[in-house]
Amino acid sequence: MTRAACLLGLIALAILMLIEVRLDGATATIFSFVGIPALAVAVGLYLLHRWRAGAFHFTGASRPPTS
Amino acid sequence: MSPAPAGPLFISPPVEPTVDWLRLLPILVALPAAAILTWGLVRGRLPPAAAVAGLVLPVAAYALGMLMVMEKSKEAQFCGSCHVMEPVVKSLDATDGSSLAAIHYTRGLVPTGEACYTCHSGYGIWGTFDAKMAGTMHMLRTATGIYDLPLKLNGSFDINSCLGCHAGAASFRAVEAHQAPDLQEALLNHTMSCTGTCHPAAHPETALTGGNAPT
Repeated sequence: MTRAACLLGLIALAILMLIEVRLDGATATIFSFVGIPALAVAVGLYLLHRWRAGAFHFTGASRPPTS
Repeated sequence: MSPAPAGPLFISPPVEPTVDWLRLLPILVALPAAAILTWGLVRGRLPPAAAVAGLVLPVAAYALGMLMVMEKSKEAQFCGSCHVMEPVVKSLDATDGSSLAAIHYTRGLVPTGEACYTCHSGYGIWGTFDAKMAGTMHMLRTATGIYDLPLKLNGSFDINSCLGCHAGAASFRAVEAHQAPDLQEALLNHTMSCTGTCHPAAHPETALTGGNAPT
């Protein structure tokens, strides 16, 4: 899943480079409707992976008392 | 657009060459992001610190890229880069007074580089927001081909875009027709438009039909 997230992130960054090289209606459309969703899915996939691995779970535990 | 006459007098405003940070910053953030993501792609996992950077940097690069797109998409050249808008932007060069947009453009009454955006965005932050939302829908419609010719304005034109410049102008106030209360009310209620009746159409019909003669 990490590999898929990284791949999608790289695709999104490649699209970002595309608008750096040439910004017009076509590349802006790709940026908006392919690049942004690809990045959102990449972030979502990575967070899902981390959540499945046990991150972001509220366990009720807090910092140990200091006194 | 026709080639502009050359000479330093025709470059406005004269600016010193500076670093285009708007264009450079997304690259500077994207490069380390790409390195981390490539590392993650090869290894299949990332150390925690790299994972956080791999999460934050691409999002930051995209946020900066979005800023660049928002700013550069104000340019008339950007609007004219879509096939359907090409004849509309080209028609701005007409000096025959046939369209209100061309009159404003050729006389320099609007910033020529951002002519489309000047008239098609309202004032304040929500004006910009609405214009960008409309622009996104335009891109979607262009990409999917879901639009009809001749192009029509979605809803009524925001007369505040005109009044922002004209309301305080003595020449505008001096026109007898503009002083009539019923006309003022009709214009502000959007039951009447500046164009068509008293002033030329905003854009020529041939441009709105994709460069073809209207049927």
